[in-house]
Amino acid sequence: MSPIERRDFMKGAATGALAFTVGGVEVFLTTREARAQNVPFRLLKAGEAETIEALGETLVPGARAAGIAHFIDQQLSVPPGEALFEARILNVRPPYANFYRAAIGAVDKASQTLNSGRRFAQLNPSEQHDFVDTMRQNKIQGWQGPGGSFVYLVLRSDAVDVVYGTVEGYEALGIPYMPHIAPDKRW
Amino acid sequence: MAANEKVDVVIVGAGASGSVYAAVMAKQGKKVVVLEQGPDWQLSDLISSDIWGRRVKPAGGPFTLEGRNPVSYGFQGGWGVGGAALHYFANFPRLLPNDFKIKSEHGRAQDWPISYQDVAPYYDKVARDVGVSGDARAEEIWRPAGQPYPMPPMKTFRNGQVWLKGFEAVGIRMVPAAVGMNSTDYKGRPACIYDGWCHVGCPIGALANPLVTYLADAKKAGAEVRPSSTVTRVLTNSQGSRVTGVEYYDHKKERQVQEASVVVLAAWAAQNPRMLLNSATDKHAKGLANSNGLVGKYMMTHFSSGTFAIFDEDVENHMGTTGAQYMSYDRYGKTSHKEGFGSSFIIAGAALKTSGLGGFANARLDLFGADLQAFMKRAARGFTRIAAFGEELPNIENRIELVSDKDEFGMPLAKIIHNYDKDAEAVWDAKGSTGNYRIDF
Repeated sequence: MSPIERRDFMKGAATGALAFTVGGVEVFLTTREARAQNVPFRLLKAGEAETIEALGETLVPGARAAGIAHFIDQQLSVPPGEALFEARILNVRPPYANFYRAAIGAVDKASQTLNSGRRFAQLNPSEQHDFVDTMRQNKIQGWQGPGGSFVYLVLRSDAVDVVYGTVEGYEALGIPYMPHIAPDKRW
Repeated sequence: MAANEKVDVVIVGAGASGSVYAAVMAKQGKKVVVLEQGPDWQLSDLISSDIWGRRVKPAGGPFTLEGRNPVSYGFQGGWGVGGAALHYFANFPRLLPNDFKIKSEHGRAQDWPISYQDVAPYYDKVARDVGVSGDARAEEIWRPAGQPYPMPPMKTFRNGQVWLKGFEAVGIRMVPAAVGMNSTDYKGRPACIYDGWCHVGCPIGALANPLVTYLADAKKAGAEVRPSSTVTRVLTNSQGSRVTGVEYYDHKKERQVQEASVVVLAAWAAQNPRMLLNSATDKHAKGLANSNGLVGKYMMTHFSSGTFAIFDEDVENHMGTTGAQYMSYDRYGKTSHKEGFGSSFIIAGAALKTSGLGGFANARLDLFGADLQAFMKRAARGFTRIAAFGEELPNIENRIELVSDKDEFGMPLAKIIHNYDKDAEAVWDAKGSTGNYRIDF
């Protein structure tokens, strides 16, 4: 990494924050803060973000407030080599937006087909749970898009990341986070 | 295109193997250049976080994965200087003598042209070079005697100790795991502090990654490492009789040629054949070094099968190392399993974090919503696991092939086709994978 890139990276990594654009200025916020401040999405459309939040909340309670949509949106906006979400480990081929758009589209299309035209975010929590349970088993008839179980894995991983993968998440579970020796000596 | 001075050796890949070549040859006075596709990581880049730790892993694939058992290399693979060894678990098990004579002893696969005795001195040398902690004497119930490890075994924690009684009950002997980590200060590197973040990289250098071992030695001896350099072809002379260097694209995405007397391909098992197959010329129509048609064939891997448990006590699962505390070769004999042919290797005791592919949220992939929330609370302090690794035999159908799609430099992408045979699947099932949640890619 170049020194400038590393400095920016370290500034964010030290606090678990990511770079968001607020009023034309790039600032470091946690995804929870970004959602609370209603930071505009860079790539996601409102409907896509709504579906992601509804899916995230169904998969891991707390994911909506923890900023799952802002997390995914921010990661989609950076070069693939800098992306931090599980999609890169799961061999999703960049650009990652293609996968997420296809996944969200498949979820909403199937939901509309099965639920009288209602998108996933418009289902009640019980319906959302049942939909996800069927999707994760690849049992949704007429599913069109990336495999349902794979969509489940990727989005569940994102939701787990924002709820349990942070220092806050460890604290909530009563687990000492124990970060290694703080790697900020160069700065 | 910039002119690059011809060197003695150009090495493709700055990971576990490339760094060894670089150190050995640079120390011999050779002029060495190492070309690495990814960024130039420093120890201070290795953040203790499963989220941030993904930066040192491959970013989406130049490989598509096919077959019943895809080679999911994204978790173990590397990206940048240090390669996969920047974030590996640093388990240092050895092959045993029976691995070298499978054909003559069982009529399966092939014998190696070398024996365990040929390799053993190098196991001992590497242990001294990088620093391995363990108990060689204890291991010698399974293998010929060698030299002791340079450091005593690592500290153990309840997440490993809690399994020992059960193993003893079924006659499986567990000994301290051999790991490339410092149980004591070693060669100017500090002892491990057991905070369980090995899998995203150890920023203090207690774990023997290339940045603090062979690559550091190589640089000290004058080797040059060029990050963000993507090699696309191995070049030959006009007669096709000799390799002359490599073509690569630098950090500005400009084409470069690095001439060298010797080219070493040390990327990884799929990228090496991808480069060779893409180096076809009129003299080597099937790809370089491929007159026998075997480049990219016999791709091999091994499975890992985890068994999880939640204990009532606090097993300190956030503590320790990501590798193993205990290991056993008691099911390593090729015919140990009546279900199928092949060795298995057992480990116990590992630090576990919440998220990431290896995190305990993924121990029950079937759970979501309130059920997952409840599981996470229950698992937070009592959850631990053991694992078994199993062998597969070489199969020519497991292979790497170029595809028509190309990367940003015009190099064809490739696919990895992989299926376990019935023996490997049988041993896998015997190790407890039956009923595991499987993902359709």
